[in-house]
Amino acid sequence: MAMGVDPSYLSNLSSSLDRVQANQQQLTAELSSGVSINSLSQNPVASGENVLLLNQIQQDDSFTESSTMVQGKLQVADSALGSVVSQLTQAISLATSANNGTMNPSDVKSISNQIAGVLDEVQTLANSSYQGQYIFAGGQTSATPFTTSSATSPGVTAYNGDEDVNYLEMPNGQKIQLNVPGNQIFSAGGSNNVFAALNSLVADYSSGTVDTPQAVSDTQALSTALNYVSQQRVTIDNSITQLTAASNATSTEQTQLTSAQTNLMQADVAQVSTQLSLSETQQTALEDVIAELGSASNDLFSKLQ
Amino acid sequence: MGTISSAFSSMSQALDADQSALNIVANNVANANTPGYTEETPNWQENQPLVIDGVSYGAGVAETGPTSIRDSVLNQRLDQQQQLASASTARLAALNTVQALFTPDSGSSASTAGDIGSDLTSFFNSFSSLEANPADSSLREEVLSSAGILAGDISNAAASLDTQQSALDQEAAGVASQVNALTGSLAQLNQQIESTSPDADAGTLQDQRQQDLSQLSQLIGVNQVTTQDNGLSITTTSGQLLVSGNENFQLTTGSVGGATHFFVGTTDITSQLASGGGQLGGYLTARDVDIPSVLGSLDQLAYGVSTQVNDLNNTGTDLDGNTGNASNPDASPLYIFNQPTQVAGSAAAMSVVMTDPNQIAAAAGPTANDPNPGTGDNSNAVAIAKLASTAIVNGQLPSEFYSNLVTTLGSTVSAVQTENTAQNASVTQLQTQNNSLSEVNLNDEASAMTMLERSYQAASQVFTMLNTIMASALNLGEQATVS
Repeated sequence: MAMGVDPSYLSNLSSSLDRVQANQQQLTAELSSGVSINSLSQNPVASGENVLLLNQIQQDDSFTESSTMVQGKLQVADSALGSVVSQLTQAISLATSANNGTMNPSDVKSISNQIAGVLDEVQTLANSSYQGQYIFAGGQTSATPFTTSSATSPGVTAYNGDEDVNYLEMPNGQKIQLNVPGNQIFSAGGSNNVFAALNSLVADYSSGTVDTPQAVSDTQALSTALNYVSQQRVTIDNSITQLTAASNATSTEQTQLTSAQTNLMQADVAQVSTQLSLSETQQTALEDVIAELGSASNDLFSKLQ
Repeated sequence: MGTISSAFSSMSQALDADQSALNIVANNVANANTPGYTEETPNWQENQPLVIDGVSYGAGVAETGPTSIRDSVLNQRLDQQQQLASASTARLAALNTVQALFTPDSGSSASTAGDIGSDLTSFFNSFSSLEANPADSSLREEVLSSAGILAGDISNAAASLDTQQSALDQEAAGVASQVNALTGSLAQLNQQIESTSPDADAGTLQDQRQQDLSQLSQLIGVNQVTTQDNGLSITTTSGQLLVSGNENFQLTTGSVGGATHFFVGTTDITSQLASGGGQLGGYLTARDVDIPSVLGSLDQLAYGVSTQVNDLNNTGTDLDGNTGNASNPDASPLYIFNQPTQVAGSAAAMSVVMTDPNQIAAAAGPTANDPNPGTGDNSNAVAIAKLASTAIVNGQLPSEFYSNLVTTLGSTVSAVQTENTAQNASVTQLQTQNNSLSEVNLNDEASAMTMLERSYQAASQVFTMLNTIMASALNLGEQATVS
C-alpha cells in the first residue's frame, strides 16, 4: 500500500476554505467598523496602550472644559478689581480736592457722601459673585463676604470670608490659583486696608470741617491700599495667562494624542482592502481545486471497465 | 503425474487465495467511510513445498486472513496531541467569551465593560471639574452619574464573568457522563479482545477501541498502557486508573465550594483533570484559573477605587457643611460607593450608595485652624481627583491597572490562540500521517482489485493449460479419447 497520501485530502482543503472565510470575516469587520482591533487578543499591547491614551485624552478634554469654566470666574474677578481700581482712583481724587482747604463745609460734606458712595460701590464689587458663589470670600462662597457697619465713626467693614485659596490642578500636576481671598485684597493688614482707608475718609469729611493732616494721611493710606489692590490683581491676571497657556498646550497635546490613538486603533482601509482581495482570490482558487479534485472522474474506479 | 496434480492443486489454492483477497478489498471499499475503520491487507503465505523423490516442488499460496494496517505509536501520538488541542480549543472558546466583554474602547460613548478605562477617567475628571466650581449642583450631579456608570460597568462585567463561570461549570459536569460511557465501552472491548485475540491484532474490535480512545482523548487527558492478552489500561494523565482490563472506574461529580468537582471513588481529581488536557481540562482551566484571574483584578480595581474615594470623601466637608464619621464619630459615613469590607466580591458589589449630590465632600474636613472650610473650598475635590494619578490599586494608578488588565487578558487569549493553532496543525499533520497509513484509499483498492483480477485470470489460464497437458498425458500413445 502506498504511504504518504492522505485519502481525505479533500476535507483538509475544505478546512483551509473555512480558515480563508474566517479571515475574510475578520477583514470585513475591520472595514465596516473602521477599527483594526476588535478584540484584545488581536493586539494586547495596543489594547492596553489604547486605555492609557484615552485616559490622557479624556483628562485633557476635561481640563480644557474646566479651564473654560474657571476662566469665566477669573475674568469676573479681574474685571471687578479693574472697577475697584477706578473707583479708588476717583475717591483719591475727591479726597485730594477736599484736602486743599478751598472747599466750604457743604462741599466737604458732599465729598464725604461721594466717598461713602465709592465705599458702597467697592463693597458691592468685593461682594461680586459668579454663578451664585461669592468670588472674594475664600472658601465661604455662600455668605456675603463684606458688610459695613456705620454704628461707629469711622464705620467698620467686616470680612466674613476666610483665607482659603483654591487651586485647579492640571493633568501634569501643575497648580493654578483660582481665587484671592477678599481680606487679602481689601482688608489686608497695615496700611493696605482699602475699607479702613475709605471709612476713615468718609468720617474725615462728614462734619464739613477737615482735619487736614489726618485727611492727608488717610488719603495717603488709600493710595497705598490702591497699589496693593493692583498687586493682588496681578495674581489673578497671572492665573488667567497661565490658564490660557495651559489650555492651549493641553489642546495641542490632545490633538497629538488623538492622532496617535487613531493611528493605533484605526483600520488601514487600503491595506485591509488589499488583504481582502487576496483572500478572495485564494478562496476562488481553493473552490476550483476542490471542484476539480472532487469530481468522480478522478477516481481510478471510474476508469475500470 | 504427481507433479501435474500438485500444479493443479497450486492453481486451485491460488484461485481460492485470490478470491479471499478480493473479499478483503471489497470489505475495504465497503468500509471506506466508516469512522475508525482501519484498512485491511491480505496476508499471503507460501505453502510448504512438496518433496517428491528428493526433489522439492512449490506447493502454491494461501491467503491467511486480513491484517489491519495500524501504527499504535502514531495512534497514541495523535491521541495525546488531540488531548492538548481539545483543551486549548475549549479554553480559547471560553477566553474569547471573556475578552468579548472587554472589547477595546474606540472612544464612543456606549457603556460596556470595555469602557471601564474611560469610566475611571470620567469619574476622576468629574472631580477635576468640581475643582472649578465646588458648589455647582450640575457638576455634583455629574460626579454621581459618572460614579454610577463606573460602578455599573464594573459590577456588570463581574456578573457576566460569574455567569460564564457557571456555564463552564455545567459544561464540565456534562463531560463526566460521556467519559463514563466511553470507559464502559472500552472495558467491554478489552474483554472481547482479550478473549478473541489475545496474541494478535483484533481487527475491527481494535478499530472500535481506538475510536473510543480518540473520542475519550477529546474529552479528557489520558495515558494508555498495553497489558497482557492485548488489553489496554487507561489512566488519567496524572495516573488515576479509569479502565483496567474489563473493569472501568466511574467519574463522579460533586459540589465543592459551589463548583463542580470530579472524583474517582473518593479521590478528588479536579485539579489533575484541569491540567490534564481534553475539553474538560480546557473548561476547568478557564473556570478555575482564567476567569478567577480577571475577576480578581476587577475586584482589586473596585476595592481600591471604592475604599480610597470613600475614605477621602468621608474626611471632607459636604455642601451642607456636614462631615462624615472620620472627624465626627456620631455622624454617618459620607460614602459615595458601597464600602467593601474585603477585596473578594468587591467588583460584583460595586454600586453608588450616595443619592444626594450635596454629600460630595469637595471641601476639606474641619481642622483646628479652619473649623469650617466653607462651601467654596475645593481642596478635597482636588485630593480625590488626584487619586487618578495615585497608585491606589495594587500599587498602580487606576488607569494603569486597567490597562494592564486588558493587556494581560489579551496576551493570554493571544497565547492560547497561538498554542491552539499550533496544536491543531500538529493534529492535522498526525491525522494526515495516520490517514495515509490506515485510511482506505479507493485508488489503491482499485489497483489491488485489478491486480487480483489479473492474477485470478492468470491462475485460471494456467489451470486450463494444465488441463490440456493432463489430457495429453492421459492420452499418451492413444488416439484422442480425452480432450
